[in-house]
Amino acid sequence: MQSQTETNAGQVLSKNKKWELLKKRMKKNKLIYLMILPGLLYFFVYKYIPMYGLIISFQDYKPYLGITGSEWVGFEHFKRLFADPDFWMIFKNTLVLFGLQLVIFFPVPIILSLMLNEVRSMPLKRSVQTLIYIPHFMSWVIIVSITYVLLTMDGGIVNGLLQQAGFQEVNFLLNPDWFRPMYILQVIWREAGWGTIIFLAAIAAVDAQLYEAAKIDGAGRFRQMWHITLPAIKGVIVILLILKIGDVLELGFEHVYLLLNSSNREVAEIFDTYVYTAGLKQGQFSYSTAVGFFKGLVGLVLVVIANWLAKKAGEEGVY
Amino acid sequence: MKIKRTAAVFCLIGVVSAACSNNNESASNEENGGSGTIEIMSNLHTPEVPEPLIEEKVEEQTGVDLSINWVPDNNYNDRLNTAFSTGTLPDVVYVNFNHYNQFKDAIRDGQFWEIGPYLDEYENLSKLKDNVLDNSRVDGKLYALYQGRPLSRQGLIYRKDWAEQLGLDGPPETTEEFFEYAKAFTEQDPDQDGQDDTIGLTDREDLVYGAFKTVSSWFGTPNDWGVQDGEIRPEFMFPEYMDTMKFFRRLYENSYINQDFPVTSKSDQQDMFKNGTAGLYVGSMGDVGSLYNDAKNINPDVEYDVHNRVKGPDGEYGIWSIPGFGSLQLFPKSAVETEQELHKILGFFDRLMTAETANLISWGIKGEHYTVEDGKAVMTQDSQKFDREVKPYQSLEIGEPATNGSYQLKAEYPPKAKSEELNRDNEDFLIEDPTLTLDSETYLQKGTRLQQGINDATYNFILGELDEEGFQQAIETWRNNGGNQIIEEYTQSYEESQ
Repeated sequence: MQSQTETNAGQVLSKNKKWELLKKRMKKNKLIYLMILPGLLYFFVYKYIPMYGLIISFQDYKPYLGITGSEWVGFEHFKRLFADPDFWMIFKNTLVLFGLQLVIFFPVPIILSLMLNEVRSMPLKRSVQTLIYIPHFMSWVIIVSITYVLLTMDGGIVNGLLQQAGFQEVNFLLNPDWFRPMYILQVIWREAGWGTIIFLAAIAAVDAQLYEAAKIDGAGRFRQMWHITLPAIKGVIVILLILKIGDVLELGFEHVYLLLNSSNREVAEIFDTYVYTAGLKQGQFSYSTAVGFFKGLVGLVLVVIANWLAKKAGEEGVY
Repeated sequence: MKIKRTAAVFCLIGVVSAACSNNNESASNEENGGSGTIEIMSNLHTPEVPEPLIEEKVEEQTGVDLSINWVPDNNYNDRLNTAFSTGTLPDVVYVNFNHYNQFKDAIRDGQFWEIGPYLDEYENLSKLKDNVLDNSRVDGKLYALYQGRPLSRQGLIYRKDWAEQLGLDGPPETTEEFFEYAKAFTEQDPDQDGQDDTIGLTDREDLVYGAFKTVSSWFGTPNDWGVQDGEIRPEFMFPEYMDTMKFFRRLYENSYINQDFPVTSKSDQQDMFKNGTAGLYVGSMGDVGSLYNDAKNINPDVEYDVHNRVKGPDGEYGIWSIPGFGSLQLFPKSAVETEQELHKILGFFDRLMTAETANLISWGIKGEHYTVEDGKAVMTQDSQKFDREVKPYQSLEIGEPATNGSYQLKAEYPPKAKSEELNRDNEDFLIEDPTLTLDSETYLQKGTRLQQGINDATYNFILGELDEEGFQQAIETWRNNGGNQIIEEYTQSYEESQ
C-alpha cells in the first residue's frame, strides 16, 4: 500500500519537489538513514571500487607496468573470446547448468519444506531438518571424492552392485552423458536441505486461522497446501528465484572444476573453469578479466529480464 | 578424486599462520638491530609447513634473517601469478622450470636483476654448471640461479615377485614385452589368490608425469617439441605419438590399465600399486623407496625392482629430460632495490652452496636427522620427523651435490640405490626439448589452452571415443587456433639461434 501511495505522489510531484521531500525526510529520520551508511560503505568499498579493475580488460595488462602504464587495446580481448572455437560450447554449458539449477534444483527445497511442514511429530521434524542441513557444511572436495569412490570402475561400490545384479558396468566418471545428472544430484544433496530454511520460516509465518477456516470448509491436507501455504509463500519464492537467477554466475567453480576431466569437457567447461585454465593459469590477466566481465553482463541481463517478468506477473521484484 | 586439493587447502591455512609467525620473528629481529630480512617464496612438497629448527640453524650459519613463505606445490604457480600481478613478489622467487617462460616478458622488460656479471665474484656460485645455466638464459643473459635435478628420473617400477611367479624372464626390454607383462599381470593371477583382481599398469590423470610421456619416449616421440623438415613441430604431430596412443588404447581395451585413469589421482594410482592391485608403475624411479615403505606394511613379501632401458619398435632407447633444474631463483627489482641488497642475497646463496649449509638443508642435523656412511648420507629411521623438520627445506637447495658438496643419499633399500644409478644411466639416451631457450609469444598466450584440446583428444583416443581422423581434426583445430603461429615463431627463433 505504502509504495503505491509513494509512486502516486511521485507522479504528481515534479523532480525538484521530490528531492526536497527526500531531504526533509532525511532530516526527520536522521538516525534511521544513518543506519544504512555501513551497508552503503560496504558495497562501495568491496563492490564498486574493485570495478576499477575492469579497466584492464581493455588493456594489454602487464603487472609491472600497472593500470596506468599498460597499453590500451580496445576490445581485443573480447574479440578473442568470441572468436574462440569453444566460446559457444562454454556459453551453452553455462546456460544448461544454470537451467538445471533453476528447473530441477530450485523446486526441491520448496517441496521439501512443504513436506516437512506436514510432519506432525516435532522430534522427527527437528532431527530430519538437522540431518539435511549437514551436507551444506561439507566442501565440494569431499562430496566429489565420495562420489568418485562410489562410482569408480576400479572397485567402486555402485559398479560392483550393478555387476552383481547382472547389468553392464557404467563409466559414470568419464561418460559425458553422466556429467549433468551427477552435477545436479550433488547440488541437490548438498544444498536442498539448507535451502528449506527460508521457506520454512515463511511457512511458519502463515496465519494459523486460515488453516482452521479451510479445515472447517472441508479442505484436506493437499487443498490446504495448494490454496493456503503456497500462495502465502509465493512472494518469497519469486524473490529467491530472481536472486537465484542473479547467481547464474555462481555455478560453483570449485564443484565443476573438480568434476571436469578430459572426456567430459564438452559438457562441463563453463566460464569459470575457462577463466582459470585459459587465463589465470597462463598469467593472462586481461583476458581473464574480459571473460569475467562478459559473464557478469550475461548475469545482469538475466536478472533484469527476470525482475521485469516478475513485475509483469504482479509480484514485487527485487528493485 | 583430487584429494590433493584438500591437502592444499589445509596447507594454505598452515601457510597463512606460518607467514604470520615469520613476520613476528622478523619484526622482533629488526628491533634487535638485525640487518634486514631476506624474503623467500618457495614450493612446499609436504602437507605441513616445516618446524623452524633448520631455518634457525641456517640463519645462524649464514648470519641472515630469513622469512620463508611456503606455498603448497599444487597451487604454487597460481600463487606466484597472483603475487606477480599484485606487485608483492618477495626478494627471492623460486620459479618452476615449466613456468619460467611466463616470466620472460618481464625479464626482458628489466623487472629482474641480471646476475651473470656477478657470479664469478662468488666462490661457490661460480661452480654452477654452465650447460645448465645456459638453459635458463634469456637473450643470452643470465638472470637466475638454479636448483639442480637429475636430467631424467623416468623409468619403470614393477613387481619383481609377480614376474618371477609367472616365469617372466628379467625386466621388459621392449615395449611389446612391456605389453606382455601388463597382460600376464592382469590375466594370469600373479598374486595366486584364485581371483581375477589384478591389473597390469596403474596410471593417473597426468599425461606428463604419469605413464604416458615416458612410454612415448620409449616409442621415440620428441620431448614436447621436435625438429622435422627444419621446422619445430609439436610432439603430437609425430607418428610415434600416435603409436603411443594406440599402445595405450590396446592396454585400455584389454583392461590391462586402470579403467578410470583419466580421473585417477596420484595417491590413488600409487595405492593400486602398493596394495597389490597393479604390477607396473611408470614414473619417477626414485619413488620406489616411498612406495616400498608403505607397501611392506600391507604385504611384507612384496618385491619391487626398477628398470629404465626399454626399446621402442625402432630398437632405440629414449627418455625425455628436464633442463637439469627443478626450479630457478629470480630476484625482482621491485623487492631487491639496490645492488648492495642483491649482493647480500647472492652472498647468502653462495653460503648455501657450501657443504656445511647444503647438507643442513638437504639432510638436517648430523646425528639427529642423518648419519654418514661411506661418504653418503643415511636418513633417520623416523621418516615422519624427517618430513616434518627437514624435507621442505630441500626445495631451497642451490645447485646439486656435485656443485654444492652435499652428501648423496645412501639408500638402505637396494632398488632405491639402483634407481639413482639408472638416473645416471638415462643420460646416455636423453631426448631434449629443443624449445627451452626459444620464444613464441603465441605459445605464452594460448599454449596451455591449446594443449588442453590435444590432451583431451589424447585421452579420448585412448578411451576409444575418438578415431585417428578425429585426432587429426584435433590437430587441425590446434593449428588453426594459433598452433601454426606457434610453429612459425618457434621455427624462426630456432633458426636465429642456429
